[in-house]
Amino acid sequence: MPEVPILMPQLGESIAEATIIRLNVTVGDEVVADQEVIEVETNKATMDVTTLCGGTVRELLVEEGVSYPIGTVLGLLEVTEEEAIRTGVQATGTTESSETTCEPDEEAPRAHFATPEGGAREPRKVEPSIRGLSVPASMKGAHYLSPRMKARMDELGLRAADISAIVGSGSGGRVTVEDLEQFLAYVSTWPCGQASPMRLSVADSMRRSWTRPLASVGRPVALENLLDYRRSLDPKPPLTIFLLRAFGKALAEQPASAGYLIGEQIIPPRAFDIGVAVQVEDGVLVPVLRRVDTRTIAELMEEYLDLVRKARERRVPEENIGGGIATVTNFGTFGLMWGTPIPLPSETLILGIGAGVKKPVWSQEKGSFIPVTEADLMLTFDHRVVDGGGAGMLLNRLNELLQEPENL
Amino acid sequence: MVTARTLESKLASLYKAGKIVGGVYIGPGQEAVSASIGSCLTWDHDIFGALIRDQGGRTAFGEPMLDATRSYLGSINGPSRGRDGNIHRGHPTEGLPAMISHLGAMISVVAGMLFARRIQGRLDGVVGAASVGDGASSTGSFHEAMNLAAVENLPLVVILANNQFAYSTPTDRQFACRSLVDRAIGYGIAGHEVDGTDLLASLEVVSKAVNDARGGGGPQLVVANLLRLSGHGEHDDASYVPETLKNSSLGRDCMAVAEQQLLAAGFLTEPEIEEWKTEAAEEVQTAVALAQQEAAPDPFADDWIVYASPELAEES
Amino acid sequence: MGEVTYIDAIREAQHDLLAADDRVFIYGQDVGHFGGAFKATRGLKDLFPERVIDSPISEDAMIGLAVGAAIEGMRPIIEMQFADFSSVGFNQIVNQAGTHFYRTGVPAPITIRLPSGGTPGSGPFHSQMMESVYAYYPGLVVVTPATVADAYSMLIDAVALDDPVLFCEHKFLYRWLKSDRLKDDDERLPIGQARIVRAGKHASVVAYSAMVHEALRAAELLAEEGWEIEVVDLRSVKPLDTDTVIASVARTGRLLAVGEAFPWGGVTAEIVSRVTNDGFHLLDAPPQRLNSRDTPVPYHPNLWEAHRPTLESISAAIRNLLQL
Repeated sequence: MPEVPILMPQLGESIAEATIIRLNVTVGDEVVADQEVIEVETNKATMDVTTLCGGTVRELLVEEGVSYPIGTVLGLLEVTEEEAIRTGVQATGTTESSETTCEPDEEAPRAHFATPEGGAREPRKVEPSIRGLSVPASMKGAHYLSPRMKARMDELGLRAADISAIVGSGSGGRVTVEDLEQFLAYVSTWPCGQASPMRLSVADSMRRSWTRPLASVGRPVALENLLDYRRSLDPKPPLTIFLLRAFGKALAEQPASAGYLIGEQIIPPRAFDIGVAVQVEDGVLVPVLRRVDTRTIAELMEEYLDLVRKARERRVPEENIGGGIATVTNFGTFGLMWGTPIPLPSETLILGIGAGVKKPVWSQEKGSFIPVTEADLMLTFDHRVVDGGGAGMLLNRLNELLQEPENL
Repeated sequence: MVTARTLESKLASLYKAGKIVGGVYIGPGQEAVSASIGSCLTWDHDIFGALIRDQGGRTAFGEPMLDATRSYLGSINGPSRGRDGNIHRGHPTEGLPAMISHLGAMISVVAGMLFARRIQGRLDGVVGAASVGDGASSTGSFHEAMNLAAVENLPLVVILANNQFAYSTPTDRQFACRSLVDRAIGYGIAGHEVDGTDLLASLEVVSKAVNDARGGGGPQLVVANLLRLSGHGEHDDASYVPETLKNSSLGRDCMAVAEQQLLAAGFLTEPEIEEWKTEAAEEVQTAVALAQQEAAPDPFADDWIVYASPELAEES
Repeated sequence: MGEVTYIDAIREAQHDLLAADDRVFIYGQDVGHFGGAFKATRGLKDLFPERVIDSPISEDAMIGLAVGAAIEGMRPIIEMQFADFSSVGFNQIVNQAGTHFYRTGVPAPITIRLPSGGTPGSGPFHSQMMESVYAYYPGLVVVTPATVADAYSMLIDAVALDDPVLFCEHKFLYRWLKSDRLKDDDERLPIGQARIVRAGKHASVVAYSAMVHEALRAAELLAEEGWEIEVVDLRSVKPLDTDTVIASVARTGRLLAVGEAFPWGGVTAEIVSRVTNDGFHLLDAPPQRLNSRDTPVPYHPNLWEAHRPTLESISAAIRNLLQL
């Protein structure tokens, strides 16, 4: 036989429980619908619990004098199926499932909320209220640094380059503060030393320069003429000074390649002042020689030698610091063949030369390989300002100039 | 009354001269009723919820004239120190609460002041009065307050000056009952009606109502009929007031009526009246001059603190 | 001793206030012999017959009366039957009471008790949370006790303050929230200070009133997943303890502000705004808010449960915040 529970009803706002005062029925009693069967008391009032339909009291599950929460099953009624259907009550344990279609009443007055023709609508699934909490655009990804992250990095004196070793666990792979702290904790277990101010200065300079798209191109240059000419002079000028002078002349002919881009403006070279990279302890200094296009090798030599010496002593004069439009670097002196030097952050170009090496080079005239001393000439440039073609023209012009060193 | 009329005329002209900060609201035509209630009340003993057109009552009750000139002329020394202006001024702890703009809202405040005194055992012999106009009688605040005062049986006298217009709205758009005094029946309180242009009649009716309240007769509603003799504010020219109304007995100037009555009854002579007017003019001039010389509020010197509790004032 | 409920605490506080201070009186509908709609004043009229008084249904006049009484030196407690009905007295609260001290220099020390918040089936006009509306107006103090001890001590403190206080007591907590102690003098905090009710390090959940308990349940759920979530109970909405909230975000870097309140503006928006303004550098993820839906509070319990933040939606919001 189907069963219908007698439930503790919601007896008022904020009432959570009620006490059973009196059970007005016992097991086996016949009851009718809406009969007051149990008397309960709340903080506010005394009330009666009524039956949902008629039936027989099968079980009483509560005791007088005890409190029970709202919704507790206080007892069970045994009801007939007819009674269950008559009163529309949900009974458990029915032997057959009854048809419970709602027949829409054609004559029924219009509902307040419009429903489509043909009966009750399928209720929409209620979704919790977290929709819309997606990650705001661009606040994720490896490049994203949250405000807290930036603040912490500032505190520690770190830049994005410094944390490139960290794999981010945040949204889209971003590095979170947690990731950073773990990384630093890990790194702190290794021995380490303080970087020198020179080192930090170069680091900062190269980091800033690198934010631009840099490209390098190169070509070999035959050094015979240059070396022969040089040997004929006394004192013998260093190789780098020829490069410096040639660079100055070539740029004076083709100044666009030394322009400097800021936003949408290109600043053309003010004067052909070119710096020379000098390796010093734990870093590089770049003293600048002024108006190289207008001065001969002889005129440049004394100053050049003086500046290189002073650079090594870290005593470069004020008037030779900064303001250059390009730099020359001779890494050949270290035995290096080729390289991809990085221009100063305030310059678009850097010209480098590798070590001279005797190589077999095909001679069309002689119809055989002949020994030629060659060095690779490399130009790294800011590709926002200069393209391969312009770089190529510059290098080719440099080659031409270096083949006639007596004209420099 | 003379003082009130003189002061307000001066304020009106200052307004037209561009000297007043904000609006000016005056009460010509209402001085008789207002002065009547003000003179039945004792400063710092009774309570007077004065409203917009109660300069007569305020003066009679004991409000210093400097309060008016300072408020209007924006002196830092005004009762609100510049934080509120014109007729939103008072001395709450001496029985003159400071009104807010929402009409009808002050009645329950006066009722509350009386209610508190009853609990404190110092209500004997005290009366609280609140002024409203025909417009205010339409508000929910009015209704709630009247009903509550009646339920609590408080010694409250509500002076309702029906000056025929609420801004530009005539009475037939404001209420549908025969007379506003009929509402007293609905609240279960005593109602009185009087010709507000008649000073002697007003004094008689108002003082009776006050005495009845003082003697335990519960709330009293006094409806005084008169005509507003100015615009709603000095920014309004009241061109909507029909000539017929202005020329009727309702449109009489209570000042003129009072002068005639007092002369006829032998209470005053013409020279005495002239003397009063001269004295009033001097008093007004002094108050105006002083207020004009005083400094305006300095935003950098104001503490901008909104809380009275010291622990909260510190934090804000 | 037995268990003390949240409403017991409110009744006890009112009893102690009436007993200690002749200036205190209670005015509200059905507060007298009936003891109040929620029995918050049960038995008090018998003990203090002159000072526990039944009012007519006139929220405007009740508040006006309170202001007048306060001018005369009393400390009235006005019981609104439901927070929702305080809107009838809105003008008197925000324009009369709230501006009184500012305009006149005379304080208006009134306390207005607002039975706030939803219970299943309470519907649109018996469920509202009004704290955001009143906090907006200068001159008012708005408190939202979430614990039994705070319900007691903050009502005492509210009446002691010289300013108008909206005491937002949550109806759901009335009988559902129990404590073994009424007072907790060791941990008593003044109005204006928030409390860290659960320490954590991965995220800060800032809540008030009944939502504090939902937030704590969510924090416990997430603890099982290995997250330590810090929960802050604001206790008072105005003044809002910005310092404690920012200190919490300084520890965790992530913020979720939760309110059982309509989403436009309000307390959670104020919290996010302050943290973003003063503590932007502390945030490792965008600050989040979780509120009720932007509809009137529905009546049917099924709808009601989906209208307000729940254990499930708070947990989901926290998890989302953690992976941002």
